[in-house]
Amino acid sequence: MGCAIRTEGLWKSYGIGGPRQVDAVKEASVEIESGKVTAFGGPSGSGKTTMLSMIGLLTKPTRGQLFHEHEELSTVSEVYRTKIRRERIGFVFQAQYLIPQLTAVENVVLPSMCTDTSPRDAEALARKRLIELGMEHRLDFRVAELSGGEAQRVSIARSMMNSPEILIADEPSSSIDEALTKDLLSQLRKMVKEEKLTIIVASHDPVVLNWADKVYQMRSGKILEETG
Amino acid sequence: MGLQKHSNLASYAIGNILKYRTRSTAMIVALIFSTFLLGSAEFLREGVMMDIAASVDEGPDIVVQRLVGGRQVEVHSSWRENLSSITGVRIATPRAWGYFDIGTGNLLTIMGINATDYGNIVGATGTEILPGGRFLEQTDRYRIVVGQGIIDLMSTARVSISAGSILSIIAQNGSLIEFEVVGIFDTDAKIYSYDMIVTDLKSAQEVLGLEDEAYTDFAIWTDYGANLNDVAFRIDTQMPETRVLTRDAMDDIMMKTYGGRAGIIALIWVVVLMTVVLLTFTVSSAGSDEARREVGLLKALGFDTVDVLEIRMIESLILSLLGASFGMSFAIIFDFYLGAPILSGYMLGWSILLLNAGLPLAISGPTIFILYAVAIVPILVGTVVPAWRNAITEPDIVLRGV
Repeated sequence: MGCAIRTEGLWKSYGIGGPRQVDAVKEASVEIESGKVTAFGGPSGSGKTTMLSMIGLLTKPTRGQLFHEHEELSTVSEVYRTKIRRERIGFVFQAQYLIPQLTAVENVVLPSMCTDTSPRDAEALARKRLIELGMEHRLDFRVAELSGGEAQRVSIARSMMNSPEILIADEPSSSIDEALTKDLLSQLRKMVKEEKLTIIVASHDPVVLNWADKVYQMRSGKILEETG
Repeated sequence: MGLQKHSNLASYAIGNILKYRTRSTAMIVALIFSTFLLGSAEFLREGVMMDIAASVDEGPDIVVQRLVGGRQVEVHSSWRENLSSITGVRIATPRAWGYFDIGTGNLLTIMGINATDYGNIVGATGTEILPGGRFLEQTDRYRIVVGQGIIDLMSTARVSISAGSILSIIAQNGSLIEFEVVGIFDTDAKIYSYDMIVTDLKSAQEVLGLEDEAYTDFAIWTDYGANLNDVAFRIDTQMPETRVLTRDAMDDIMMKTYGGRAGIIALIWVVVLMTVVLLTFTVSSAGSDEARREVGLLKALGFDTVDVLEIRMIESLILSLLGASFGMSFAIIFDFYLGAPILSGYMLGWSILLLNAGLPLAISGPTIFILYAVAIVPILVGTVVPAWRNAITEPDIVLRGV
């Protein structure tokens, strides 16, 4: 397996030059292997989420370098970052951000709406993804009618809609109990195996951190140690 | 990217309209009201302008009145010779006109004319006689041709008027004078000549209480190709007591009268539209946390900034098109089928006789285009500006939860 993502001296600051400047990530250098699960652990405010934001091209690093398969992306345009996100990255957010008025299928279809995929193909794929995640009995239920675990599966199905190479998940177990977490993680592991997916998670849940192939522990914006 | 993507974005936009029903409904209702207000005033204003153009077309090239101490007074018949001798004047004919009552409480217009002079002018007011009747002859006395308004008015009293009917008119001295209707004239000008009776000079003088040889004004038609302003200038300089009104001046006066009223409506409309735009802006900005998160989500999922703007523009376009279309439809119903109650009184004047002929209304392509443009453009700006502000924010807000 090769290196999917590499960072060198990555740094992210907010409110630069102001009295409230926050250095959320400092000098982070990591290597994320393809087809493996890499986790960022650490307490709240340690910089895990900011690290995911930069790796997932949701925000630009203040300085340092970010490589996706040897392509340096820290300074590329917003349009190009969006293209990479659309084609290669899927996201599972802590707050899920599902649209409550829409059904599970309609939520999963969402990423395909900025592509040339026809509604019929998109819906067929969305149903397939949901069924793979054991959601066949809830396909046409509104999100408001789903349990926390079911909503999380919908969120995962949505992230897989454009068949990404990288899945980024922020605190995937935060809204579900331990049994559901284990079930979810086994689903994700299956996807790693079957679809050669690279998964990057941020979590402070020991269950998730133990499940990952490699863990970077963070504190106060710095990478403290690497395990696995 | 092909058409499919735009179709998908449009589907998302429509989904958003349905998703945020309260916001969408508020915007549509506000737009319906503002477009309805402007549309009904515009259709009426355009109709009035066309009516004015028609009445000016049927009227003389120049009207000459006499002013003494800034007050309009009667004109003497001796002016005819002076006016006729001025270069460029083809016909100078006296008119005796004013208002009278037929006992119904409505004030109608009577115009006494020289039948020979008027008969020689193609298309002059009152000369287009409908089949079954005739225009006045020089020897006629107590004979009239009437506009459609008189027939409509009398029919409400169950009196049928046609050629040969007798109509009694209350003269200025209180006496009742019987007139024989010899014809009914056709006209394109509803406001000006709809309620008009045309008769000979002597009969009109009797009704209006004018002395013999005393007239209200002179109507002048100029030589073909003559410059109207030059002729008017010559009359003005050679005859000191005159007030000279050219066709353009009369058109201008009427346009200002009715256009000014329409202007006030337009002003009210601007206020209403600004309120709608502010509402749109507020609605877009007020939901900014939600809107920002939605934009962040879309961008995280691979939507470009232009995709987000396209969605917002499609939403605004659909809402404003719907609002403007419904508003215009209601304006058409209000004007054309309900007779624009209140508004017509304001625009045309409360005393004007408007019977079955209805209002002078008109709809033209440019008016429809302007109505759509002024409804859509401000709403687009009011929606897209906040959307653009959201769309350029970093999508990491969905991860950071801010």
